[in-house]
Amino acid sequence: MSNKKNNVVLEEYENEFSYKKSKTNLNIEFNRIAFILFVFLVISTIYSIQLLHLGSLKIHNEIKPLITKNNYRADIIDRNGNYLVKTVSSIDIGINPIEVIDKKKLLINLQLIFPNKNYMKISKKLQKNKYFYLEKKITADNYEKIMMLGDKSIKSEEKLTRIYPQKNLFSHIIGQIDDDNNGISGLEKSFDKQLKQIKQPLQLTVDTDIQFLIREELIKFHSVFRSKGSTAILMNVNNGEIISMVSYPDFDLNKRKKISDVNFINRATKGVYELGSVFKTFTVAAGLEEGLIETDTEFLNLEKRLKCGKNIISEYDKKIPSDLTVEQILIRSGNIGAVRIGQKLEIDKLKLFLEKIGVLNKIDFDIEEVGQPIPFRWGKCKLATVSFGHGITTTPLQLAKGYAIIANGGFEIKPSLVKKILEDNQNQKRIIKEGVSKKINEILRKIVTTKEGTAGFANINGYEVGGKTGTAEKAIIGGYTRKAKVNTFASIFPTSKPKYVMVVLLDEPKTSENYIYKYKNKSGSYKGTPFNTAGWTSVEVAGKIIQRIGPILATKYIEN
Amino acid sequence: MKRVVFAIIFILILATSLVKNSTKEAEDRIFIVNENIRSLKAKFGDVLLEYNYLSSPDKLTQYQTQYFEKKLIKIDITKIKKLTEKNNHINVSDFVEKTKDE
Repeated sequence: MSNKKNNVVLEEYENEFSYKKSKTNLNIEFNRIAFILFVFLVISTIYSIQLLHLGSLKIHNEIKPLITKNNYRADIIDRNGNYLVKTVSSIDIGINPIEVIDKKKLLINLQLIFPNKNYMKISKKLQKNKYFYLEKKITADNYEKIMMLGDKSIKSEEKLTRIYPQKNLFSHIIGQIDDDNNGISGLEKSFDKQLKQIKQPLQLTVDTDIQFLIREELIKFHSVFRSKGSTAILMNVNNGEIISMVSYPDFDLNKRKKISDVNFINRATKGVYELGSVFKTFTVAAGLEEGLIETDTEFLNLEKRLKCGKNIISEYDKKIPSDLTVEQILIRSGNIGAVRIGQKLEIDKLKLFLEKIGVLNKIDFDIEEVGQPIPFRWGKCKLATVSFGHGITTTPLQLAKGYAIIANGGFEIKPSLVKKILEDNQNQKRIIKEGVSKKINEILRKIVTTKEGTAGFANINGYEVGGKTGTAEKAIIGGYTRKAKVNTFASIFPTSKPKYVMVVLLDEPKTSENYIYKYKNKSGSYKGTPFNTAGWTSVEVAGKIIQRIGPILATKYIEN
Repeated sequence: MKRVVFAIIFILILATSLVKNSTKEAEDRIFIVNENIRSLKAKFGDVLLEYNYLSSPDKLTQYQTQYFEKKLIKIDITKIKKLTEKNNHINVSDFVEKTKDE
């Protein structure tokens, strides 16, 4: 055994280890989780964004098909939801002659589908090698047939067109559009921007049935009195909603003809007329408003003739007594009496009253075709003539507005064709004193019911019609002509609680030899028109209109 | 603490994604229904236009003269009666009351 010495050398071992709270490992773990979460977050965010984005895209898709098409315009409906104008898709068929393979065969095929076309012309067009339209707004049947031919030269073009199912009925209200889809008259013009943008139909205040009945009566009496034209406006006195507005002659909107004849103007809004005695109501109302007169105020020793400058003012009826109360002046339509009331009022007060009720200045209306009442210089003679409705002009629409304000208790209204959320006169501004309305309404009723009144033919049972007539000679250079008259009747009904105002105007009517009048306030009838006055013309028309539309107004609008 | 916060965020994101997914399905269904309504609306519009044209006063008057022998008459408002029911008893009265001056 060897004694081997095992020497153990103890050396100081320098271990570098020292306990430390290692952060590195933990950091790796944390970053991993954070990274995974971050990835999740990014994916989720992208996914969410995608979902939201797709969702929003789909909402846009919903309205895309109609709005993005060129020539889109919103539909127009009446107060009952009936279409007055509708934009519909239509297909036009064109032929590109260059692509025609067999011209003879094509012509034979086309002749089978459209037997009434002039094929000589079509053949010539085919020779010219220029694209042309074969059929515009093709029917569904013919479209199917022509496409079945499978000819490459036949091209179909989808277009949007405006259809007017009521044809002439609303021509002046709706108006026309041009080939570039821009409104050129009526509501199509004044609401052009809106119609191109809105999705919902534009609802009007007019009633198709009533419009039709009024138009029918106007056409009938157009031939009876051989007038140049005529117009009628029916309006709610409490909110200014126009239920009907007809101007005759009119035109078919579907034909898209260029209207240049001035006789086709909208007489209701654009026609500026001297309307005569219908203005006396305003003179009397102004006198009552100012407290200068009462309905029983007497005017004694009234002259039969007055001279003012070059003008001679006289009574149209020589039987009118010299002593009259204010009520009698209006009932009997006394010119001199009206002049005296006007003189009591003086210029400022009468002018202010006429301005207040909106007959003196241009009206702000839903359509742009509105006439400007001819401006004039006030003076002593002008005051006299204006008092009985001469030397002053306005439009039938403004006349209707004036009568509506007087009838509704004196509240301001704005005539409107477009349906709005309108309330009756509870929240409206009063512009005429309380009480004036009631006094005037009673007199207007007497004009229709009494023997002395000038509007007996409008006394239709059940409607309590009241109104004032106006017969005016048309102005010509240097004076007036007896040959051309404007006969107007401004009516309100029922007078006990007025709801409607109706203005009927006949432009240059003539007397009729064969028309048979049936008296309303007495028995019997009368053949032929004895006088070319409003009482024998426009009052008769208004009476017939009320007779026809009255049951609809009374039953359909019972709650309104 | 941070883990909890991240866990909550993660759960919320997951839950949002799931909700969104189900919303997408609902949106798809709404989209399909809307598309169907749109086409039906277009059809309804065309049918209503046709109805308005065929039932316009002008057309009805034309049909009346074409198919019926009797003429249309005006209704006299004074002949319209009003029916009112009270305690199982029907009362008949005039639709418009006559005024003194009529």
